[in-house]
Amino acid sequence: MNQFITVIATIVLAPIVGGLLFGIDRRITARLQGRFGPPIMQPFYDFFKLLGKESIAVSKMQFVWIYSYLVLMIASLVCLVLQSDFLVLVFLLGFAGVSLVLGGFSTKSPYSHFGANRELLQILAYEPVLLLLAIGIYAQNGTFMVSTILSRQEPLLLSLWPLFIAVLYVLTIKMRKSPFDLATSHHAHQEIVKGITTEYSGSYLALYHLAEWYEIVLVLGVIVLFWANPIWIGLLIAFAAFLLELVVDNITARMTARWMVRLSWSVGLILGIINIAYLYIMKGVF
Amino acid sequence: MTDGMMAIAILLPVVAGFLILVIRNYFARGVVVVLTASVLIANSILFASKGPITYTPPAGFDWGTLITVLDYAILITYLVLGLKLRNRLVLIFAATQIIPLAYFEFVMKAHVEVKPAFVVDYLAVVMTLVICVIGSLICIYAIRYMRDHEEHAHLDKSRQSRFLFWLVLFLGAMNGLVFANNLVWLYFFWEVTTLCCFMLISHDKTQIALQNAARALWMNATGGTAFILAIIYLYTTQGGSSALSVQNIIGGGIHSAVMLVPVALLCYTGCTKAAQMPFQSWLLGAMVAPTPVSALLHSSTMVKAGVYLVIRLAPAYAGTYLSTAIAIVGGFTFLGTSALAISQTTGKRVLAYSTIANLGLIMACAGINTPLSIAAAILLIIFHAISKGLLFLCAGTIEHQIWSREIEDMEGLAAKAPLVTLITAVGMLSMFLPPFGMLLGKWIALEAAYKVPLAAIFFVLASALTMVFWTKWLGRLLQVMPKLGWPLEKLSPSYAVPLWTLFIGIFVIGFGIAPIYQDFIASATSNVIPGNNIIASGWASIVLAGSSTGQPAAAIQGSFPLWALYLVLGIALFLPMLFYGLKPTQLRPVYLCGEQTGGTDTDEWLAEADIKTKFILGGYYFQGTVGEKALNPWVNTVAIFLLAIMIGCGVISK
Amino acid sequence: MGLITKSRVKSPWIMHFDNSSCNGCDIEVLACLTPLYDVERFGIVNMGNPKHADVLLITGPVNRRTARVLRNLYDQVPSPKMVIAVGTCASSGGVFHNCYNVLGGVDKVIPVDIYIPGCAARPEAIIDGVVMALQNLTEQRRLWATCPHCKTEHEVVDQQWRI
Repeated sequence: MNQFITVIATIVLAPIVGGLLFGIDRRITARLQGRFGPPIMQPFYDFFKLLGKESIAVSKMQFVWIYSYLVLMIASLVCLVLQSDFLVLVFLLGFAGVSLVLGGFSTKSPYSHFGANRELLQILAYEPVLLLLAIGIYAQNGTFMVSTILSRQEPLLLSLWPLFIAVLYVLTIKMRKSPFDLATSHHAHQEIVKGITTEYSGSYLALYHLAEWYEIVLVLGVIVLFWANPIWIGLLIAFAAFLLELVVDNITARMTARWMVRLSWSVGLILGIINIAYLYIMKGVF
Repeated sequence: MTDGMMAIAILLPVVAGFLILVIRNYFARGVVVVLTASVLIANSILFASKGPITYTPPAGFDWGTLITVLDYAILITYLVLGLKLRNRLVLIFAATQIIPLAYFEFVMKAHVEVKPAFVVDYLAVVMTLVICVIGSLICIYAIRYMRDHEEHAHLDKSRQSRFLFWLVLFLGAMNGLVFANNLVWLYFFWEVTTLCCFMLISHDKTQIALQNAARALWMNATGGTAFILAIIYLYTTQGGSSALSVQNIIGGGIHSAVMLVPVALLCYTGCTKAAQMPFQSWLLGAMVAPTPVSALLHSSTMVKAGVYLVIRLAPAYAGTYLSTAIAIVGGFTFLGTSALAISQTTGKRVLAYSTIANLGLIMACAGINTPLSIAAAILLIIFHAISKGLLFLCAGTIEHQIWSREIEDMEGLAAKAPLVTLITAVGMLSMFLPPFGMLLGKWIALEAAYKVPLAAIFFVLASALTMVFWTKWLGRLLQVMPKLGWPLEKLSPSYAVPLWTLFIGIFVIGFGIAPIYQDFIASATSNVIPGNNIIASGWASIVLAGSSTGQPAAAIQGSFPLWALYLVLGIALFLPMLFYGLKPTQLRPVYLCGEQTGGTDTDEWLAEADIKTKFILGGYYFQGTVGEKALNPWVNTVAIFLLAIMIGCGVISK
Repeated sequence: MGLITKSRVKSPWIMHFDNSSCNGCDIEVLACLTPLYDVERFGIVNMGNPKHADVLLITGPVNRRTARVLRNLYDQVPSPKMVIAVGTCASSGGVFHNCYNVLGGVDKVIPVDIYIPGCAARPEAIIDGVVMALQNLTEQRRLWATCPHCKTEHEVVDQQWRI
């Protein structure tokens, strides 16, 4: 029963938190750029406006894939709040990403095609880091279950700090912030129009934004896991990482997809591998 | 009873094969194939229900001498082929097999008598189910496929009988291989599969087919050489034919200094058969063969024989450096071939690289050598056989609809052939996504992999790479113009029955995995690693997540209710596909900066001077970074190095 | 105001399209998006994509080629949509109105809601025009009704059906 209530609460509250985070994001970005910026509730106005639009589409499968993206993202988040297996969380997140990419591929549209291929490269860039994080968690705890992370006294950050730095790359990619805002972003529209979301409009685009809200909560939730006891420190760290991303966004320019994969696979993977090697040597096998 | 079952499993395909060879009528041939298939499937299910048995053929007929004679016949055939094709390597490696064999036979005057000759434990049952069920479906598919193939090639004289003969004969050889306990008999069945492989790859008798068949032959022949050397080594050092029983090798005497050398040689043989790096080129070359060959030999069955041997020998090398070396060889293959697959523009080559990658994963699981990882390996064998067999059959069906194997030509297939696209899409998604069985196997493998952390890192990198090439390819299939209501295409029953059976099989076996795991894998694992209580530790990984209802006392590594994942899949994909519809008034053209010629489903736009131009999309292949020219020198060198280390670990025997 | 209507007012996403303007008005539109005038505080974001847009900001006089393109883009914008003709050229053809290739203002091709005169139109005027368009929305001078012929919803502007 408890679990049921947790799940319902997550499904209802997470998008509100996510939307507010996006609103704060736009407000702070605006202030960093010396202007006022929209109200914090802006993402919700956008969302409801999109719901009121005429429903047009370019293919039926477009809706299937974007809806699947949303459902799988929610499933992944539910996995986190139910303190279940971290690997399953990563796999569901991967499936969600693949759904989004296939949605971009569901029509023969040039901009969608570019966006989808770039999104696939983004997945290639961050997926190994998340899986290495899973292995790092196993190396530390002897199990993949999130419940053991939450019950530990010693925070994960102390032993997994290289992986934490690598996860910050993942956060930048997931939040679609420069230098990794390649597949679709507010600012790349002169390059690839809207990339992967070009052919989406109205309520389908609203579903995409909703999924993004769940996603930001999920990724920040993963960062919270790095300091789970007491949890308010973890929340602070997650919020600090969020603010860091805003700063990074405003001081960097968008780079190419290849550069992104190269950077993530060199820096991210080396940090992860060093971390796991250290843990293996120090702690041995469970 | 057992006599009959063994005879049906091994001898019936031979008899049926010769029958097919002489039948000239298309329908009669098809009937014989279907009947043989049905009997084989029923027989394998009978094996499954009976449980483990051992068997020695009755003393009336001297099977041993027959097998020895046939051995020489096969090796002499290799020599003849080497001479005909003027291929030095084939000649050399046929000679390196025939000379030691003759030495063993005539100089050492070896008398090999192993009782029991055949051992059917649960691992063998799993393998024979895969061989008989999936193999039979592929043979049924081949009936119609070869007819279309020959029509398209405008052949005057039909060679379908010869093709089906080798295909069906192969099933018998595989059954013999997985049942054999006598190492010399195992060697015989091994060589029969190599011969079938050559005959089937070279079926079209084009220059390139013969070249690639010859390459497959000599590479597998190096494995055969290692096999013979292992046999001689065991016979001389362990004293007599009792050493040539597989059960004796894995049952006892592990860690004794001499035992690991033959085991390492046999694992090398398995590597060549499974086309691990650096031997992957023979499997890539084998893709020129007709699709049923690729589906049966080079994804579901023959290459599985290689990893089967490695898994079978796992208790023999458990806890040694050899085990770790095998894990690293397999893991590196998984990584290297997954990267190479991204650059391939031909569908079947992507499937080939993916096959080698998954075989590397299975071999790495065998090398990690914990109960959980062996369970993962067996799960992966089953699910990979189903999914990859299905994908190859789909590739063949697509080839016979658009008459091309290139991925770029498959763009927009969802409009031209929706049913095949649906089956292919499910096949592809089942290779790397939850909740399907392949991912379940990978999940268990990752959970077990920390024992060899380098292997875990290889798994992680390769998993990310596999997502890229599958999604990329599936995306190309789905790119259609804005239009509603594509007509469903017609599929002949010879195509449709295997395709839909495997399609349903993915779901049924994927979902039913919990009881299957308990019945087969748990028992199969306990047969491979004797005396291990895997049921407690391994079962926990797919049992329902204990929340308030008590988790097992021992720390479980990870668990998730499988049914929940299937429910999520149903809600995410099947619900909208079935219940969501679009009205034609909702369709809009794709965004092309407003330059389209008009209407929603046009892909022409008006270029300069208002010239009508089609817009062309191209896939991303990154041949400069992960292409064969770029990667092969590096990965092949590292792979040779790792393989040398593996054999070295067998020699130092710790 | 209902939630959806309020959201429509609070979040008008624009798509800017240049017919064959001298780029003067385009630069002024761009200036609106800069921190000096900062239209994002009204929720206005420049989407380069008609499928995401609510408001079409159109500059430049319409010629035969851009008429086809403009019609295509207008069709791709999902309703409810507003069209704002920025600058004298977009309103009536401006100084180019009797060129051999110029058809005239934007309203020769698609229905226009707001005309913003000026050569080039000043950013303050552009913002004023967008605000006026949003007022139209709240005062419901744009009506939606079900067409008796094809049974789908269409706009009714000044008692005329716009499809």
